[in-house]
Amino acid sequence: MNKEFKILAKPYIVWLFLLAILPIFVMIMLSFMFSEGLTFEESFFTFNQFTLLGESSTLEAFKNSVVFATLTTVISFVLGYFVAYNVFKSKFKNKFLILTLFILPMWSNLLLRTEALGNLMENNNILSDLLAGIGITLSIGIKGTPLAVIIGLVFTYLPFMILPIYTALEKIDYSLEEAALDLGLTNMQKFWKVIFPLSLKGVATGSILVFLPSMSGFAIPEILGSGNILLIGNVIEQSFKIMDYNLGSLLAIVILFFILGALYIVSKVDKEGETLL
Amino acid sequence: MEKKVIIELSHITKQFDEDIVVNDLNLKIYENEFITLLGPSGCGKTTTLRMIGGFEKPNTGEIIINGKVFNDLPPYARPINTVFQRYALFPHLNVFENVAFGLKNRGDDYLVKFFQLEAITDKKVLKETIKGKIREAVIEALKLVKLTGFEVRKITQISGGQAQRVALARAIINRPQILLLDEPLAALDLKLRQNMQYELKEMQRKLGITFIFVTHDQEEAMTMSDRIVVMKDGLVQQMGTPKYIYNEPVNRYVANFIGESNILPGVYLKKNLVNFMGVDFDTTDYTFSDGEAVDVVIRPEDFDVVELDKAKLTGTVTSSIFKGVHNELTIDIKGVELSVNTYENYQVGEPIGLKVDPYEIHLMKV
Repeated sequence: MNKEFKILAKPYIVWLFLLAILPIFVMIMLSFMFSEGLTFEESFFTFNQFTLLGESSTLEAFKNSVVFATLTTVISFVLGYFVAYNVFKSKFKNKFLILTLFILPMWSNLLLRTEALGNLMENNNILSDLLAGIGITLSIGIKGTPLAVIIGLVFTYLPFMILPIYTALEKIDYSLEEAALDLGLTNMQKFWKVIFPLSLKGVATGSILVFLPSMSGFAIPEILGSGNILLIGNVIEQSFKIMDYNLGSLLAIVILFFILGALYIVSKVDKEGETLL
Repeated sequence: MEKKVIIELSHITKQFDEDIVVNDLNLKIYENEFITLLGPSGCGKTTTLRMIGGFEKPNTGEIIINGKVFNDLPPYARPINTVFQRYALFPHLNVFENVAFGLKNRGDDYLVKFFQLEAITDKKVLKETIKGKIREAVIEALKLVKLTGFEVRKITQISGGQAQRVALARAIINRPQILLLDEPLAALDLKLRQNMQYELKEMQRKLGITFIFVTHDQEEAMTMSDRIVVMKDGLVQQMGTPKYIYNEPVNRYVANFIGESNILPGVYLKKNLVNFMGVDFDTTDYTFSDGEAVDVVIRPEDFDVVELDKAKLTGTVTSSIFKGVHNELTIDIKGVELSVNTYENYQVGEPIGLKVDPYEIHLMKV
């Protein structure tokens, strides 16, 4: 590569090492040690955290994470595919505008959005006040239940499912649909035999983009679950809060392996790297 | 022998918004015929094909296939298959699966009739037999397009010419009565294109299917077609055998579009006599009124180069290009340029004499 470009890349490399790779190494070290907070004084090498991994509360959090993330992904997939397909098939001139409407909520802060959603899930909120004004009593006190967490996760990560599926659908050459009809398929068969298989890359991308953050995030279950539901993200957050950096680091590293594993599978399945584009 | 009409287009008009793309088209296509819709892009030929295939609906008029009106039937209910311009092969399937696609997705009832398996009653045996029959059909179709051994190749791993053959195999495996081909050779290089022209013609003869071919390449049309339909701006200009259209173009547009030609203004003097370039020529029978202005068409190869004293027209050679078999001369006669093909060698600047036989002179209405 050109030398000047190499120089231009230097700041980024420094950035990458200082703020990403170095901390990861520190985390790996911390996972194998006992330390009082972030100091190496009086610290010693231990496998103690690994025994904590097997504790039922940690395992429960892991199980919750996987279950919630899977449910979120499946629900997002069904809703997201429905939306993406209908926008794709619609005759709107400016389809991008429609998609922008779906992304619009993402422009506000995640915590604010989640708090607002949590407020709507409580028994007395601005919406039920307004509805009571016109004589409708509505009270949905679901905050703190698993349902609330699922709604919050889907609400937050649905756009990440819609966009890649829409992009994949848009890439399908229209003449393929005509060819399918020409070869004797009905519209329904055409969808299942041609359109759906060709949009699977978008589904894969969307699923990863939804699954990983819903598995490792902590804000949404904390706010909407009112502390009743612990995901692995919450356990990590609590560990760091109570200065148990060693357990927190270890769990974070485990999550990191999950993510790397997912990316590795994707790179194996899709050699051209189209999925993540 | 009276040929059987397989498809008839009757007063077909197609409009996109305000644009009339096809205007009152009438066309009868016979069984086992190779017919070409020829014209420049935007002349309505592809739209006509798409209406036959069922991808567009005509605004007015009827599409009649085997005596039945097919206007509102979806593509899958028509005995027609299409080879698309850019092939439209399914990228998620390999060559075998692409070719098998049309048969595999049909219902069992359809396939029982298709393979004539009415005798088999056991469901399980039937399933197995159908599977085997489809396999055989695919292998046979691939053999026909000379792609034996390519079954497990991915669509991304074959060349343009091979993709074209797969598209062809994918269409003919369904044994359609009519095969539509939308400029299928446009993306191939010259040599491959010429080979495919002969192969397509050969295949059509062997299979006995009606081919409706769309192209803007007049040479392609001439080589393959039994009949050519020349179109312009949604209107049919002329239909007929390649020979007829070449020798007897009905107007300036067709004459220009099909082959090289000299088109000269002339006057029809009386029966069997026409005047152009200030000279009277004998002609064969034409029915114009005496004194009517006409366009005279003479193909470059129809001029006879003769000695100056025997010539009806004399001029000077302004350019001479050696074309292998013949020389392509440009001749200036009193300011009018003529294109003439001859075996004789002439130098630029040399005088030259020309003669035309009466039957080589073609007259058209202005």
